[in-house]
Amino acid sequence: MNAATSATRTEKITITYDDAIVRMFMTAAIVWGLVGMSAGVFIASQLNWWQANFDIPWLTFGRLRPLHTNAAIFAFVGNMMFAGIYYSTQRLCKCRLASDLLSRIHFWGWQAIIVSAAITLPLGFSRGKEYAELIWPINIAVAAIWVIFAVNFFWTLAKRNEPTLYVAIWFYIATIVTVAMLYIVNHLSLPTSLLHSYPIFGGVQDALVQWWYGHNAVAFFLTTPILGIMYYFVPKAAERPVYSYRLSIIHFWSLVFVYIWAGPHHLMNTALPPWLQGLGMLFSLMLWAPSWGGMLNGLLTLRGAWDKLRTDPVIKFFAAGVTFYGMATFEGPLLAIKSVNALSHYTDWTIGHVHSGTLGWNGFMAAGMFYWLAPRLWGTKLYSTRLANYHFWIGLVGIMLYIGAMWVTGITQGMMLNAVDKQTGLLAYPKFIETLLTILPVMTARAIGGALYVFGFILLAYNIWKTARSGKAVNGTAEVVKVVLEESEYDLRAKGGLWSAPVVYSLVGVFFMTMWFLGRDAVMLTGVIGTALTVLIAIAHFEIGGKKWSQWYEALLANAMPFTVLTFVAAAIGGAIQIIPTVIIQRADNIEDRIQVVYTPLELCGRDIYIREGCYNCHSQMIRTFVPDVMRYGDYSRIGESIYDHPFQWGSKRTGPDLARVGGKYNHLWHFQHMENPRSTSPGSNMPNYPWLLESKTDYNVLPARIRALRTLGVPFPEMNNEEILAQARAQAEKIAEELAAGEGGIEHDPHTEIIALIAYLQQLGKHEKITSTLAENR
Amino acid sequence: MSDIKKENLPPGVVLRDHVYDGIYEYDQKLPNWWLYTLYGAIIFTVLYWFYFFSTQVGKSDEQRLTSLLQEVRAIQMANSMDDLTDDLLWEMSRNPQWVEAGRKTFMTNCATCHGHNLEGGIGVKLSDDEWLHGGNPLAVRHTITNGVLEKGMQNWGPVLGDKKIAELTAFIMSHHQPPAQ
Repeated sequence: MNAATSATRTEKITITYDDAIVRMFMTAAIVWGLVGMSAGVFIASQLNWWQANFDIPWLTFGRLRPLHTNAAIFAFVGNMMFAGIYYSTQRLCKCRLASDLLSRIHFWGWQAIIVSAAITLPLGFSRGKEYAELIWPINIAVAAIWVIFAVNFFWTLAKRNEPTLYVAIWFYIATIVTVAMLYIVNHLSLPTSLLHSYPIFGGVQDALVQWWYGHNAVAFFLTTPILGIMYYFVPKAAERPVYSYRLSIIHFWSLVFVYIWAGPHHLMNTALPPWLQGLGMLFSLMLWAPSWGGMLNGLLTLRGAWDKLRTDPVIKFFAAGVTFYGMATFEGPLLAIKSVNALSHYTDWTIGHVHSGTLGWNGFMAAGMFYWLAPRLWGTKLYSTRLANYHFWIGLVGIMLYIGAMWVTGITQGMMLNAVDKQTGLLAYPKFIETLLTILPVMTARAIGGALYVFGFILLAYNIWKTARSGKAVNGTAEVVKVVLEESEYDLRAKGGLWSAPVVYSLVGVFFMTMWFLGRDAVMLTGVIGTALTVLIAIAHFEIGGKKWSQWYEALLANAMPFTVLTFVAAAIGGAIQIIPTVIIQRADNIEDRIQVVYTPLELCGRDIYIREGCYNCHSQMIRTFVPDVMRYGDYSRIGESIYDHPFQWGSKRTGPDLARVGGKYNHLWHFQHMENPRSTSPGSNMPNYPWLLESKTDYNVLPARIRALRTLGVPFPEMNNEEILAQARAQAEKIAEELAAGEGGIEHDPHTEIIALIAYLQQLGKHEKITSTLAENR
Repeated sequence: MSDIKKENLPPGVVLRDHVYDGIYEYDQKLPNWWLYTLYGAIIFTVLYWFYFFSTQVGKSDEQRLTSLLQEVRAIQMANSMDDLTDDLLWEMSRNPQWVEAGRKTFMTNCATCHGHNLEGGIGVKLSDDEWLHGGNPLAVRHTITNGVLEKGMQNWGPVLGDKKIAELTAFIMSHHQPPAQ
C-alpha cells in the first residue's frame, strides 16, 4: 500500500492464499480435540468408578480435569478458531496473510504451549484457578504467541485489498483484543520459583477477577470467534445472503459491551458484595437478546437453504450448532437468576450447560467447518458424506444423553441438598453422600454420551484423513483489483471516525450509569437523571439524524484502527467498573465482621498441596446465604474469611461437600484415614485415594520464598527468618503427628510427610477472628 | 449465489451493495419480539436495581437468611418441647415466630388482667424484674401451666396446652434479658 503516487490508480494482481497454515491448524484441532474429549470421557468415568484413578497421582481427577478443560478450550477450539480465522480473513481481506513466518511461529508456539500444558498439569503444577491453571512461564508464552497472532492479523488487515471490514472480522477483532486483556489481568502473578507463583489478587478480589476472566473466556474465546466463523462459513455453505446487516451491528456491539459485566453470576449468593451480584444477574438477563441476535442471523441465513439440510452434512452441523448456541444462551441467563442459581450452582446442571455450548455450539460448528474446508483445502470431494451424516447423528445423540443426564443429576442433587423437612425443620438428606449415591446411576449416561460424541469425532478424523489422502494440498488463489490510494485517503484509514454522536452518547450514558450504580444520594440521583436524559436525547437525535449515524458506521468499517479501539473500550468498561472499586478498596474495608487468621507455615504448605491435587475441582470453600447451606456446613462465609487466600478457593462445583468450615469438624485420624481411603470413613464416596500423600516428604524448603512472596502481596505473616519458618513448620508437624498417635486407635506416622501438612491446612479451615467495629476502624 | 439480484427481491427487502468474497448481506428489519426481549430485560434491570439497591426496599440476602433461619429454628424448637430448658426458652424468646405466636395468645387470654403492655392490673406486672413465683423461664412456664389459684390465676395447662404455653413464656421473656453468660 505505497502511497507513492498522488492519484488513485488500480492494478490487477493474482494472490495465492496461505492455506497451508489453515491445514496445519485444522489438523492440530482434530488431534487435540480427540485428546481433550477423550480426557473428558475418562474423567467422567472416574466420577462413576473411583478405581479409574488407579492410585496414581498424575491420573487423578483433580489433576486431569484441568487438562480436559484446557485442552478442550485452548487446544481444540483454539486451533479450530485459528484455522477458521486465517482461512476467512485472507479471503475477506483479499490478501495473503501478512507474514508466513509469524503464522508459523504462531502455530508451533501454540502447539508447544499445549504440549507443556499436557505435561505440567498432570504433574500437579497449577495456579489453582479454573481455566487459568497453567504456570507462569507458560502464561508468558501464551501472551507472547497471542501478540504474534494479533500482529499477524492486524498487519493483514492493514494490507487488505478490501475497503471495508465484514462482520466476521469485527468478531475476530473483539476476540483478539479482549482475550489479551482478560488473560493478562487474570494471570498477574508473583513467582516464588521457576514453576510456582501466587496470583497478585486474593480472596474476593481474586474471585471477581477470576470469573470476569472465566466467564469471558466463554464469551471471547468460545463465542465471538465462532460467531465470526459462522458469519463467514454459514452463508458460504448455504449460498444465501446474511439475513440482516443491521442485526449484525446491534448484536455485535451489545454482545461485546454486555458480556463483560456478567462474570459475577458465577458467584451468586456468595460473600461477593451484593451490588456485584446484582450486576452479574441483570447483565446476564440483558445478554439474552444480543446472544439470540447471533442465533437469528445464523438460522435466518439458512432460510431458503433448508432443502440442503437433508443432503449436506455441513448445513446439518451448522444448523444444529447455531441451535445449540441459542439453547445455551437462553439457559445461561436463566441460571444467572439468583433463585434458579440457588438450585443449580455447584451441581451438574452448570456442567451440562457449558457442554451444550462446547459440544453443541463449538464442536458442531467445528465439524461443519472442517467438512466444508477439507475438500477445498485438498482440492477434492469429501471422502464420505454418509460417514459425515453418521457422525452428525451419533454426535447429536451423544450430546442429548450428556445434557439430559446432567439436567437430571444436577436438578435432583440440587433439590435433595436444599430440601428441609417441613415437619422437623431439619435437612431432609443430612448426609451429602446420600445425594451422590442417588445420582450416580444417571451420571453413567453422561460418560456414555461423551463416549458417543468422541466416537463421532473419530469418524470425522478418519473422513478428513481419507479426504486429504485422496486429494492434493492446494492453495486458494484470487484475482484482485488492487486499489492504490492517495496519501490523504490512506491517512484517513488510520485515523478518523473515532468520535461521533453514537460514541459520545454511549460514553456519556455509561458515565451516568456508573454514577447511578456506584453512587449514593445526590450522586445516584444525578446518575439516574443523567442516564435517562442521555437515552432520551440519543433517541431523539437518532430519529432526526439517524442516517448520518449509518454513514459514520460505514466509514468506521473502512478504519480498522478506530474500530479496534472502540471495540476494546466497549469490552473493557464493564470489567473496569466492577473490578477497580473492589481492588482499590482497602482490605480492612472489604471485610464484614470477621477476618481470616493468617496461615502458619505448615498450613500454607498444606494449602499448596490442596491446590496441587486440584481439590477445588470438587470441593467449594464458600457457604452461601441459604438456610440449607448454613444448616449443612455452618454459618455463611464472610468476605473477610478468605481475604488472604492467593488464589481464592471458593470453588464452582460440589462433587463433594463444602469445606469452608471443615476445620475441627473431624479429628486428625479421620482425615488421615479419609485421605488414604475415603471409603473407610465415607462409604460410597467417589473420591480418589491419595496414598502418596502418606509417603511423600514435605518440601519445607520452598516455604521461605513463598511466605516472602505473600508478604509482598500484603498478607500479614509475622516477621520470621528462614530458620524460624522451617523450625515452626517442623514443630507443628510433629505436634500434629503426636496428636494423631494419641488415644485409642491412634496412628504413628512420620510427621514430615505431606499428609500431615494437608491435615494442618484442613483443620484450620474456617478459622477467623471476630472484628468489633472499633477494631475495624483502627485497622 | 448467482441468483441473488436486486430486482428479484421481495418488496421491502434491502440487499446491500457490497459483496465480500461472494457473501451478500440483506439488511432486514429487526424482529419485534427480539426487540421486546431486549427492551424488557433493560426495563427489568432498571426496576430491579431501584428495588434492591437504589431504594433498598428489597431485603438483603443476610436479612432474608436470618428470618428464614429463625423460621426453621422455630420448627426445630417446636419439636424439642419434651425437654424444655431455660436456655431453650430464652432462645425462643428471641425468635420472632415464637414471640409473635405468644403475643397473640397473650392478647386473647392474659391482657385483660396483666395489661396489653404487661403493665399489670388485676394481675401482677410482668415487665419488671419482680417475680412472686420465680423469674426464670421454666418457673414462669410452671406458673402459667399450674396457675396460682389463691390469687385468682387459673391453671392454663389444660386450656392452652404445652406449645401455646411455651410460646406465651417466650413472649413474656422477650421483655426481659437473659442472665449474662
